[in-house]
Amino acid sequence: MTTAGDGPSPLAGQVAWLGFLGRRLLGLLVVLAFLLFATFVMVRLIPGDPAVVILGQNGTPDQYRAVDHLLGLDHPWPAQFVDYVTRALRGDLGESYVTKQPVGEIIGQRIGPTALLAGLSLAVVLLLSVPLGMAAAHLTANGRRPRVEVAWTTMTAVFGTIPQYLLATLLVFVFALELRLLPVAGMQGWRAVVLPVASLAVGPTLALARIVRLQVLDALAQDYVRTAESKRLPLRTIYLRHVLPNILTTALTVGGLLFSSLIAGTIFIEQIFVRVGMGSSLIGAIQAHDYPVVQADVLLLGMIVVVVNALVDVLLGVIDPRTLATEG
Amino acid sequence: MAFLRALRAAPSGLVALVAMVALLAIAVLGPILLGRAANELDFRSVAAGPSAAHPLGTDQLGRDLLARLLVATRLSVGMGLLAEVLAYAAGIPLGAMSALIGPRWRPLLMRAIDTMIAFPGLLVTIYLVTILGPRLGLLGLAAGLAVPGAFRAARVVSTLSLSIAGRDYLAAARLVGVRTPRLIVRYLVPNMAETLITSFAVGVSFTIVAFSGLSFLGIGVQAPSFDWGRMLSEGVNSFYETPAAALGPAAFIAAAALAFAYAGEALARAANPRVWTRAPAARTTAPAGSPAAGGGSGSEETLVVRDLTVRLGGLEIVSGVSFGLAPGEMVGLVGESGSGKTMTALGIARLLPATAAISGGVTLLGRDLETMTKPELARFLGTELAVAFQDPMSSFNPALTMGTQLTEGARRHRGLDRRQAAETAVARLLEVNLPAPRRVLREYPHQLSGGMRQRAMIAMGLMNEPRLLICDEPTTALDVTIQAQIMDLLARVNREHGVAVILISHNLALVRQNCTRTLVMYAGRIVEDLPSERLLTAARHPYTRSLLAAVPDLERRRGERLTTIAGQPPDLSARPSGCPFHPRCPLAQDVCRSERPPLEASPDGTRVACWMAGARVPA
Repeated sequence: MTTAGDGPSPLAGQVAWLGFLGRRLLGLLVVLAFLLFATFVMVRLIPGDPAVVILGQNGTPDQYRAVDHLLGLDHPWPAQFVDYVTRALRGDLGESYVTKQPVGEIIGQRIGPTALLAGLSLAVVLLLSVPLGMAAAHLTANGRRPRVEVAWTTMTAVFGTIPQYLLATLLVFVFALELRLLPVAGMQGWRAVVLPVASLAVGPTLALARIVRLQVLDALAQDYVRTAESKRLPLRTIYLRHVLPNILTTALTVGGLLFSSLIAGTIFIEQIFVRVGMGSSLIGAIQAHDYPVVQADVLLLGMIVVVVNALVDVLLGVIDPRTLATEG
Repeated sequence: MAFLRALRAAPSGLVALVAMVALLAIAVLGPILLGRAANELDFRSVAAGPSAAHPLGTDQLGRDLLARLLVATRLSVGMGLLAEVLAYAAGIPLGAMSALIGPRWRPLLMRAIDTMIAFPGLLVTIYLVTILGPRLGLLGLAAGLAVPGAFRAARVVSTLSLSIAGRDYLAAARLVGVRTPRLIVRYLVPNMAETLITSFAVGVSFTIVAFSGLSFLGIGVQAPSFDWGRMLSEGVNSFYETPAAALGPAAFIAAAALAFAYAGEALARAANPRVWTRAPAARTTAPAGSPAAGGGSGSEETLVVRDLTVRLGGLEIVSGVSFGLAPGEMVGLVGESGSGKTMTALGIARLLPATAAISGGVTLLGRDLETMTKPELARFLGTELAVAFQDPMSSFNPALTMGTQLTEGARRHRGLDRRQAAETAVARLLEVNLPAPRRVLREYPHQLSGGMRQRAMIAMGLMNEPRLLICDEPTTALDVTIQAQIMDLLARVNREHGVAVILISHNLALVRQNCTRTLVMYAGRIVEDLPSERLLTAARHPYTRSLLAAVPDLERRRGERLTTIAGQPPDLSARPSGCPFHPRCPLAQDVCRSERPPLEASPDGTRVACWMAGARVPA
């Protein structure tokens, strides 16, 4: 009857948005604080005296004490923690016990290649898994092509379960040793990136595609798809406009989780393909008892995951307005 | 036996189960039988390829690779099991706590668990192993591996307990006085066991992979101990000379990962075959038969349905339905749930699931749908026919704005641009009395009330000015006042647009008041067809009359019992012989039990399918 109030979108929506963003930001800060605390505690809990690591077994007590003083280890823990946090916020993460290089510098050199590896892999995963899963769903909808379905389920199950380091081993054997198509290891040129990215991305891609297929089949059975069909829209529109947004939530949620396994995977992949990066830095530092580097690597890899997950959360809120309304 | 049968139904699960048992046997027996052979140095064949004496070859010190792999099984699988046991020992209490903690703190705890799960487990493990490893050795490794697993386990347990706690049978058990400990043992645990078995086995698969990975990186097992991961990293170093030294451990790790991951599922399936048995996939049978011949000229009628039959999953759910619809007529299709009314409507609209087989003819506005090509059909039905679905909550796409959903049909079929389509949508929304239509177009379905959604659904149906509107239970989910408003709206739309309406409802009173004609369906067939105004006085089928008697009305005296129809609608897979209504019919005679009555037309245009049509119902 009335058209009054036919104005801009209500303020309530924006308030809900701000509240949602605020909660996510708060959560992110809490997790980052926890990460700082955990990495701080780590170095203090590792058995063995840092001074001994630095000086070896043959230092004098005075020398040991001098190193402790230099590292601030003669202060009480709370003071040390405050010091650690304020330094970390300034970007000062200490210096390597082994090379005496500032840790920030070490990380600066190594984060690029790791980011490239993880970013490329994530792009492959997201770009391939959704179309693959949709195609598989379309081909096998309504119980059609049962053989394709069995092949698909088996393939995605096997590759979704096999860890990245095994796949890497297998790919190196086939493509580098037997077929000699690609380099075994190293960082020279784009061809050296192919096998590492494939090792990282194939498993998550198929795992996600498997979920996408099930989600698409689920969406196709929903009432709203029948409504869309009642409007006689072309198949393309039904899949891309009506189905895709409804599976994106799950795809992104799972994609976020897979990203954290991608990050973990880079540790192996850098080791196998002898690449410079955060992962190889972390493993090397653990073996050399180079704790400031271990601490900073764990902190940074953790931060990347946490921040990406927070971004995914916000993105989910953008894509699916119901998240704002339903969750507390 | 049922156990074995369930396993045989899924051969991959059986393979996984056998592989898992074999791995466990090797873990127990390997070191006993081959412990010596695994450390024997054969200097004559160092880093050798496969041979008769050494099936997989030897390592750099001349030790037999196969023997070492088999011996290493104990450490690799054992650590996987130990770590997962620790994980569940910690995860079950944590998960139970998050379910019991109460709604105030639960979201916080759950969020913390989720955050930990989202964090890379390997990083947590590396962190813990760095701290604990030097002090505790293998136990430290196991603990480090267990922590990510513990959060996964907690997540599973809390989700399970929360979902089970909300189930009806638990509430029912509590109501009849079953005590809490008994409740947990008899109801909670059996219902969780299945999922827990699966998730535990999958967890073992995870931890075996993670543990091997740690050793592969050189921060797991230290020499002289060896596991698959250490062997893999040694093998990779000599990949050129002896590929088998790397591929062997890789194969074992992969096999163990797959075996545990899928054996768990197989075990759960075997423990509860009911849940996992897949219903036989319904096959699409080719549309049977050609459209039935004849059936009147029908050129002046909006819709002519001839002998429409729908089969789904081997059952005939609509059987030979025929009727016509004059322009602007409003016809009610009534019947109990399962009588086939919705399937008849979907059959007319060509919206049946792909697994359904349809035969018979549908002519809309003089055009036989059977003869049209796919693009023609899309355009024709997209403009001339609209369907307003039952549940407007689930029938609108939750991820799209109302504007997108209202306008897309008009944009597709009538070539309107965004502006024109939006203007049309605003006009239609105003017509169905939705206030603030421009805002509604920007909103998502969940932001509207049920009544508003139903109005919007009807407005959406009117977008292309169709000649036929099918409304499937448009008011079922709404309260009575809104129900009346929607019916008024439909009547007005019917009048003003001259659109023919098929109103599907189980509510005979609603149909009687709003429709010119009433079609009564029973067990997939039309059993009576008559003008609504004559329902009360001239209904001749006993089923129609008992439906009328079951309608509560104001004249009925208080205290007088509401009539119900005895018995159940027939099970379509076991249709009674003769007239499908005879088991419930007070008038049933021998002929009703043996022969199905045809739907016969009277001179006055009404139709009825009953041998005893019009006979007095005994008191």
